[in-house]
Amino acid sequence: MQGLTERVAELLHELANLPAFASLSGAEAVPAGSPWVFSNYIFWMIIAAVLTAIFFMIAARKVRLVPAGVSNIAEAGVEFVRNMCVDVMGEQGLKYFPYVATLFFFILFNNLIGLIPGFKPGTGTIGVTATLALMTWVVFVWVGFRKNGFFGYMKSLIPAGVREMGLAGRIGLGAYIFLLEFFSTFIIRPLTLAVRLFANMYAGHIIIGIFAAFVALSWSNFTVGGGLVGLVSLVMTILMYAFEVFVAFIQAYVFAILTAVYIGSSLHASEH
Amino acid sequence: MAAAQVTQGVTGSLNTIGAGLAYGLAAIGPGIGIGIVGGKALEAMARQPEMSGRIQTTMFIGIAFTEALALLGFVLALILNR
Repeated sequence: MQGLTERVAELLHELANLPAFASLSGAEAVPAGSPWVFSNYIFWMIIAAVLTAIFFMIAARKVRLVPAGVSNIAEAGVEFVRNMCVDVMGEQGLKYFPYVATLFFFILFNNLIGLIPGFKPGTGTIGVTATLALMTWVVFVWVGFRKNGFFGYMKSLIPAGVREMGLAGRIGLGAYIFLLEFFSTFIIRPLTLAVRLFANMYAGHIIIGIFAAFVALSWSNFTVGGGLVGLVSLVMTILMYAFEVFVAFIQAYVFAILTAVYIGSSLHASEH
Repeated sequence: MAAAQVTQGVTGSLNTIGAGLAYGLAAIGPGIGIGIVGGKALEAMARQPEMSGRIQTTMFIGIAFTEALALLGFVLALILNR
Protein backbone atom coordinates (compact mmCIF):
# COMPACT_ATOMS: atom_id res chain seq x y z
CA MET A 1 0.00 0.00 0.00
CA GLN A 2 2.77 2.36 -0.94
CA GLY A 3 0.49 5.11 -2.13
CA LEU A 4 -1.46 5.12 1.13
CA THR A 5 1.65 5.52 3.30
CA GLU A 6 2.81 8.42 1.20
CA ARG A 7 -0.59 10.08 1.26
CA VAL A 8 -0.92 9.68 5.04
CA ALA A 9 2.57 11.14 5.51
CA GLU A 10 1.55 14.07 3.30
CA LEU A 11 -1.68 14.48 5.29
CA LEU A 12 0.18 14.55 8.60
CA HIS A 13 2.62 17.07 7.15
CA GLU A 14 -0.29 19.24 6.05
CA LEU A 15 -1.76 19.15 9.54
CA ALA A 16 1.51 19.97 11.27
CA ASN A 17 2.50 23.46 12.40
CA LEU A 18 3.89 24.96 9.23
CA PRO A 19 4.92 28.59 8.96
CA ALA A 20 2.02 30.66 7.68
CA PHE A 21 2.40 31.77 4.08
CA ALA A 22 4.95 28.98 3.69
CA SER A 23 4.48 29.03 -0.06
CA LEU A 24 5.52 32.65 -0.08
CA SER A 25 8.49 32.39 2.25
CA GLY A 26 9.60 29.00 1.01
CA ALA A 27 10.09 27.72 4.56
CA GLU A 28 9.64 24.01 4.97
CA ALA A 29 9.05 23.66 8.67
CA VAL A 30 8.80 25.88 11.69
CA PRO A 31 12.33 27.01 12.51
CA ALA A 32 13.50 25.33 15.68
CA GLY A 33 14.00 27.47 18.75
CA SER A 34 12.14 30.54 17.55
CA PRO A 35 9.88 31.81 20.35
CA TRP A 36 7.33 33.65 18.23
CA VAL A 37 5.90 31.15 15.88
CA PHE A 38 3.43 32.43 13.33
CA SER A 39 2.25 29.10 12.01
CA ASN A 40 -0.68 28.34 9.73
CA TYR A 41 -2.84 27.47 12.76
CA ILE A 42 -2.15 30.84 14.37
CA PHE A 43 -3.04 32.59 11.13
CA TRP A 44 -6.45 30.91 11.04
CA MET A 45 -6.94 31.52 14.77
CA ILE A 46 -6.52 35.23 14.16
CA ILE A 47 -8.97 35.08 11.27
CA ALA A 48 -11.51 33.27 13.46
CA ALA A 49 -11.02 35.78 16.29
CA VAL A 50 -11.57 38.69 13.90
CA LEU A 51 -14.67 36.95 12.53
CA THR A 52 -16.09 36.47 16.04
CA ALA A 53 -15.53 40.13 16.80
CA ILE A 54 -17.17 41.23 13.55
CA PHE A 55 -20.09 38.83 14.11
CA PHE A 56 -20.86 40.24 17.52
CA MET A 57 -20.29 43.83 16.50
CA ILE A 58 -22.86 43.42 13.74
CA ALA A 59 -25.24 41.62 16.10
CA ALA A 60 -24.99 44.34 18.74
CA ARG A 61 -25.53 47.15 16.27
CA LYS A 62 -29.28 47.57 16.58
CA VAL A 63 -30.63 46.23 19.84
CA ARG A 64 -34.36 45.72 19.36
CA LEU A 65 -36.97 44.11 21.57
CA VAL A 66 -37.57 41.39 18.99
CA PRO A 67 -34.23 40.57 17.35
CA ALA A 68 -33.89 39.65 13.71
CA GLY A 69 -31.19 38.21 11.50
CA VAL A 70 -27.69 38.10 12.94
CA SER A 71 -28.88 39.53 16.26
CA ASN A 72 -31.30 36.64 16.55
CA ILE A 73 -28.62 33.97 16.25
CA ALA A 74 -26.24 35.84 18.52
CA GLU A 75 -28.91 36.34 21.17
CA ALA A 76 -29.97 32.70 21.00
CA GLY A 77 -26.37 31.62 21.51
CA VAL A 78 -25.68 34.07 24.32
CA GLU A 79 -28.91 33.11 26.10
CA PHE A 80 -27.99 29.45 25.81
CA VAL A 81 -24.60 30.08 27.44
CA ARG A 82 -26.19 32.34 30.06
CA ASN A 83 -28.73 29.67 31.08
CA MET A 84 -25.95 27.13 31.31
CA CYS A 85 -23.89 29.47 33.52
CA VAL A 86 -26.75 30.15 35.89
CA ASP A 87 -27.55 26.43 36.02
CA VAL A 88 -24.01 25.45 36.89
CA MET A 89 -22.63 28.35 38.90
CA GLY A 90 -25.70 29.88 40.47
CA GLU A 91 -26.45 33.58 40.55
CA GLN A 92 -22.91 34.58 41.59
CA GLY A 93 -21.68 32.92 38.46
CA LEU A 94 -23.02 35.70 36.29
CA LYS A 95 -19.88 37.66 37.07
CA TYR A 96 -17.89 35.07 35.09
CA PHE A 97 -20.45 34.63 32.34
CA PRO A 98 -18.71 37.03 29.88
CA TYR A 99 -15.55 34.95 30.11
CA VAL A 100 -17.38 31.67 29.56
CA ALA A 101 -19.39 33.10 26.67
CA THR A 102 -16.26 34.49 24.99
CA LEU A 103 -14.58 31.11 25.43
CA PHE A 104 -17.57 29.31 23.92
CA PHE A 105 -17.90 31.52 20.84
CA PHE A 106 -14.16 31.80 20.24
CA ILE A 107 -13.73 28.03 20.32
CA LEU A 108 -16.88 27.51 18.24
CA PHE A 109 -15.75 29.86 15.49
CA ASN A 110 -12.28 28.35 15.50
CA ASN A 111 -13.65 24.81 15.21
CA LEU A 112 -16.11 25.68 12.45
CA ILE A 113 -13.60 27.67 10.41
CA GLY A 114 -11.34 24.64 10.33
CA LEU A 115 -13.99 22.59 8.55
CA ILE A 116 -13.70 24.61 5.36
CA PRO A 117 -11.26 22.76 3.09
CA GLY A 118 -7.90 24.49 3.07
CA PHE A 119 -8.59 26.36 6.30
CA LYS A 120 -7.23 25.17 9.63
CA PRO A 121 -8.90 25.24 13.04
CA GLY A 122 -7.04 27.50 15.40
CA THR A 123 -7.79 25.06 18.19
CA GLY A 124 -6.13 22.24 16.28
CA THR A 125 -2.76 22.97 17.80
CA ILE A 126 -1.88 22.22 21.39
CA GLY A 127 -0.46 25.73 21.89
CA VAL A 128 -3.82 27.44 21.48
CA THR A 129 -5.83 24.93 23.54
CA ALA A 130 -3.19 24.90 26.27
CA THR A 131 -3.40 28.69 26.47
CA LEU A 132 -7.19 28.57 26.79
CA ALA A 133 -6.93 25.87 29.45
CA LEU A 134 -4.29 27.93 31.26
CA MET A 135 -6.59 30.95 31.27
CA THR A 136 -9.38 28.85 32.76
CA TRP A 137 -6.98 27.42 35.32
CA VAL A 138 -5.85 30.88 36.39
CA VAL A 139 -9.49 32.00 36.70
CA PHE A 140 -10.73 29.13 38.82
CA VAL A 141 -7.63 29.02 41.04
CA TRP A 142 -7.77 32.78 41.51
CA VAL A 143 -11.49 32.62 42.35
CA GLY A 144 -10.81 29.78 44.79
CA PHE A 145 -8.13 31.77 46.61
CA ARG A 146 -10.12 35.00 46.57
CA LYS A 147 -13.28 33.42 47.96
CA ASN A 148 -11.90 30.93 50.44
CA GLY A 149 -8.45 32.18 51.29
CA PHE A 150 -5.37 30.14 50.54
CA PHE A 151 -5.69 27.67 53.43
CA GLY A 152 -9.45 27.59 53.15
CA TYR A 153 -9.23 26.50 49.54
CA MET A 154 -6.62 23.86 50.32
CA LYS A 155 -8.70 22.56 53.21
CA SER A 156 -11.78 22.35 51.03
CA LEU A 157 -10.06 19.73 48.93
CA ILE A 158 -10.52 17.29 51.80
CA PRO A 159 -14.17 16.28 52.23
CA ALA A 160 -15.97 17.38 55.40
CA GLY A 161 -16.41 13.89 56.81
CA VAL A 162 -12.69 13.26 56.81
CA ARG A 163 -11.99 16.62 58.41
CA GLU A 164 -14.07 15.62 61.41
CA MET A 165 -12.31 12.33 62.07
CA GLY A 166 -9.74 11.76 64.80
CA LEU A 167 -6.15 12.88 64.43
CA ALA A 168 -4.91 9.61 62.94
CA GLY A 169 -7.73 9.59 60.41
CA ARG A 170 -7.12 13.16 59.41
CA ILE A 171 -3.40 12.64 58.90
CA GLY A 172 -3.63 9.32 57.11
CA LEU A 173 -6.77 9.53 55.05
CA GLY A 174 -6.76 13.31 54.81
CA ALA A 175 -3.26 13.51 53.44
CA TYR A 176 -3.95 10.78 50.93
CA ILE A 177 -7.18 12.35 49.71
CA PHE A 178 -5.56 15.79 49.68
CA LEU A 179 -2.81 14.50 47.42
CA LEU A 180 -5.29 12.91 45.04
CA GLU A 181 -7.57 15.93 44.97
CA PHE A 182 -4.65 18.33 44.55
CA PHE A 183 -3.40 16.39 41.58
CA SER A 184 -6.89 16.10 40.13
CA THR A 185 -7.82 19.74 40.59
CA PHE A 186 -4.65 21.60 39.78
CA ILE A 187 -3.03 19.38 37.20
CA ILE A 188 -5.51 17.00 35.59
CA ARG A 189 -8.22 19.59 34.98
CA PRO A 190 -6.30 22.03 32.78
CA LEU A 191 -4.39 19.20 31.13
CA THR A 192 -7.49 17.32 30.06
CA LEU A 193 -9.20 20.54 28.99
CA ALA A 194 -6.34 21.30 26.65
CA VAL A 195 -5.83 17.79 25.32
CA ARG A 196 -9.56 17.05 24.87
CA LEU A 197 -10.12 20.04 22.60
CA PHE A 198 -6.85 19.61 20.70
CA ALA A 199 -7.26 15.87 20.19
CA ASN A 200 -10.86 16.21 19.01
CA MET A 201 -9.97 18.81 16.41
CA TYR A 202 -6.73 17.17 15.27
CA ALA A 203 -8.13 13.65 15.14
CA GLY A 204 -11.23 14.80 13.30
CA HIS A 205 -9.20 16.27 10.50
CA ILE A 206 -7.02 13.19 10.30
CA ILE A 207 -10.04 10.91 9.99
CA ILE A 208 -11.55 12.98 7.19
CA GLY A 209 -8.17 13.14 5.50
CA ILE A 210 -7.63 9.39 5.66
CA PHE A 211 -11.00 8.60 4.15
CA ALA A 212 -10.33 11.15 1.43
CA ALA A 213 -6.93 9.53 0.85
CA PHE A 214 -8.68 6.19 0.45
CA VAL A 215 -11.01 7.67 -2.14
CA ALA A 216 -8.16 9.23 -4.08
CA LEU A 217 -6.12 6.05 -3.89
CA SER A 218 -8.82 3.61 -4.95
CA TRP A 219 -10.15 5.80 -7.73
CA SER A 220 -6.79 6.75 -9.23
CA ASN A 221 -6.05 3.29 -10.64
CA PHE A 222 -9.57 2.12 -11.23
CA THR A 223 -10.63 -1.47 -10.65
CA VAL A 224 -14.15 -2.70 -9.90
CA GLY A 225 -13.36 -3.64 -6.31
CA GLY A 226 -11.41 -0.40 -5.94
CA GLY A 227 -14.36 1.58 -7.21
CA LEU A 228 -16.62 0.15 -4.54
CA VAL A 229 -14.05 0.82 -1.80
CA GLY A 230 -13.77 4.37 -3.09
CA LEU A 231 -17.51 4.84 -3.05
CA VAL A 232 -17.83 3.62 0.52
CA SER A 233 -14.93 5.85 1.54
CA LEU A 234 -16.58 8.83 -0.15
CA VAL A 235 -19.79 8.23 1.78
CA MET A 236 -17.77 7.88 4.97
CA THR A 237 -15.96 11.16 4.23
CA ILE A 238 -19.27 12.97 3.95
CA LEU A 239 -20.60 11.31 7.11
CA MET A 240 -17.45 12.15 9.05
CA TYR A 241 -17.75 15.76 7.85
CA ALA A 242 -21.24 15.96 9.30
CA PHE A 243 -20.00 14.34 12.50
CA GLU A 244 -17.16 16.88 12.70
CA VAL A 245 -19.62 19.76 12.54
CA PHE A 246 -21.44 18.15 15.46
CA VAL A 247 -18.15 17.64 17.31
CA ALA A 248 -17.23 21.32 16.74
CA PHE A 249 -20.36 22.42 18.61
CA ILE A 250 -20.04 19.77 21.29
CA GLN A 251 -16.38 20.50 22.06
CA ALA A 252 -17.00 24.24 22.33
CA TYR A 253 -19.96 23.52 24.63
CA VAL A 254 -17.98 21.03 26.73
CA PHE A 255 -15.05 23.42 27.18
CA ALA A 256 -17.41 26.20 28.25
CA ILE A 257 -19.46 24.08 30.60
CA LEU A 258 -16.39 22.51 32.20
CA THR A 259 -14.97 25.99 32.76
CA ALA A 260 -18.26 26.93 34.40
CA VAL A 261 -18.21 23.77 36.53
CA TYR A 262 -14.66 24.41 37.70
CA ILE A 263 -15.36 28.05 38.54
CA GLY A 264 -18.55 26.96 40.28
CA SER A 265 -16.71 24.39 42.35
CA SER A 266 -14.22 27.08 43.37
CA LEU A 267 -17.04 29.45 44.29
CA HIS A 268 -18.81 26.83 46.40
CA ALA A 269 -15.70 25.17 47.78
CA SER A 270 -16.45 26.09 51.37
CA GLU A 271 -19.84 24.42 51.26
CA HIS A 272 -18.58 20.85 50.91
CA MET B 1 16.60 -19.65 9.02
CA ALA B 2 12.90 -19.74 8.28
CA ALA B 3 12.40 -17.06 10.88
CA ALA B 4 15.04 -14.87 9.22
CA GLN B 5 13.34 -15.31 5.86
CA VAL B 6 9.97 -14.39 7.32
CA THR B 7 11.20 -11.22 9.05
CA GLN B 8 13.30 -10.05 6.13
CA GLY B 9 10.74 -7.68 4.70
CA VAL B 10 9.71 -6.17 8.03
CA THR B 11 10.49 -2.46 8.05
CA GLY B 12 8.42 -1.37 11.01
CA SER B 13 9.79 -0.51 14.40
CA LEU B 14 8.62 -1.15 17.90
CA ASN B 15 7.29 2.40 17.89
CA THR B 16 4.61 1.48 15.39
CA ILE B 17 3.54 -1.58 17.36
CA GLY B 18 3.44 0.56 20.47
CA ALA B 19 1.32 3.13 18.71
CA GLY B 20 -1.22 0.58 17.62
CA LEU B 21 -1.33 -0.99 21.07
CA ALA B 22 -1.61 2.42 22.72
CA TYR B 23 -4.72 3.48 20.89
CA GLY B 24 -6.28 0.02 20.86
CA LEU B 25 -5.98 -0.42 24.59
CA ALA B 26 -6.89 3.18 25.28
CA ALA B 27 -10.17 2.87 23.41
CA ILE B 28 -11.52 -0.11 25.36
CA GLY B 29 -12.29 1.62 28.66
CA PRO B 30 -13.84 4.79 27.29
CA GLY B 31 -15.87 2.78 24.80
CA ILE B 32 -17.50 0.82 27.60
CA GLY B 33 -17.71 3.94 29.75
CA ILE B 34 -19.50 6.02 27.13
CA GLY B 35 -21.87 3.13 26.51
CA ILE B 36 -22.73 2.99 30.21
CA VAL B 37 -23.21 6.76 30.43
CA GLY B 38 -25.41 6.82 27.36
CA GLY B 39 -27.46 3.89 28.54
CA LYS B 40 -28.06 5.34 31.97
CA ALA B 41 -29.00 8.67 30.42
CA LEU B 42 -31.49 6.91 28.16
CA GLU B 43 -33.02 5.07 31.11
CA ALA B 44 -33.32 8.27 33.10
CA MET B 45 -34.88 10.14 30.19
CA ALA B 46 -37.38 7.35 29.68
CA ARG B 47 -38.32 7.37 33.35
CA GLN B 48 -38.77 11.12 33.56
CA PRO B 49 -39.15 12.80 30.14
CA GLU B 50 -39.56 16.28 31.61
CA MET B 51 -35.95 16.19 32.86
CA SER B 52 -34.58 15.36 29.39
CA GLY B 53 -32.77 18.68 28.99
CA ARG B 54 -30.87 18.43 32.25
CA ILE B 55 -30.05 14.76 31.68
CA GLN B 56 -28.82 15.38 28.15
CA THR B 57 -26.52 18.14 29.37
CA THR B 58 -25.02 15.94 32.06
CA MET B 59 -24.67 13.09 29.59
CA PHE B 60 -22.59 15.28 27.30
CA ILE B 61 -20.31 16.26 30.17
CA GLY B 62 -19.86 12.61 31.11
CA ILE B 63 -19.10 11.64 27.52
CA ALA B 64 -16.56 14.45 27.19
CA PHE B 65 -14.70 13.31 30.29
CA THR B 66 -14.35 9.69 29.18
CA GLU B 67 -13.71 10.56 25.55
CA ALA B 68 -10.73 12.66 26.59
CA LEU B 69 -8.97 9.54 27.82
CA ALA B 70 -9.46 7.73 24.53
CA LEU B 71 -8.22 10.74 22.62
CA LEU B 72 -5.16 10.96 24.86
CA GLY B 73 -4.31 7.47 23.59
CA PHE B 74 -4.94 8.51 19.99
CA VAL B 75 -2.64 11.50 20.29
CA LEU B 76 0.00 9.31 21.93
CA ALA B 77 -0.24 6.89 19.02
CA LEU B 78 0.35 9.73 16.60
CA ILE B 79 3.33 10.99 18.57
CA LEU B 80 4.82 7.51 18.71
CA ASN B 81 4.45 7.13 14.97
CA ARG B 82 6.43 10.23 14.13
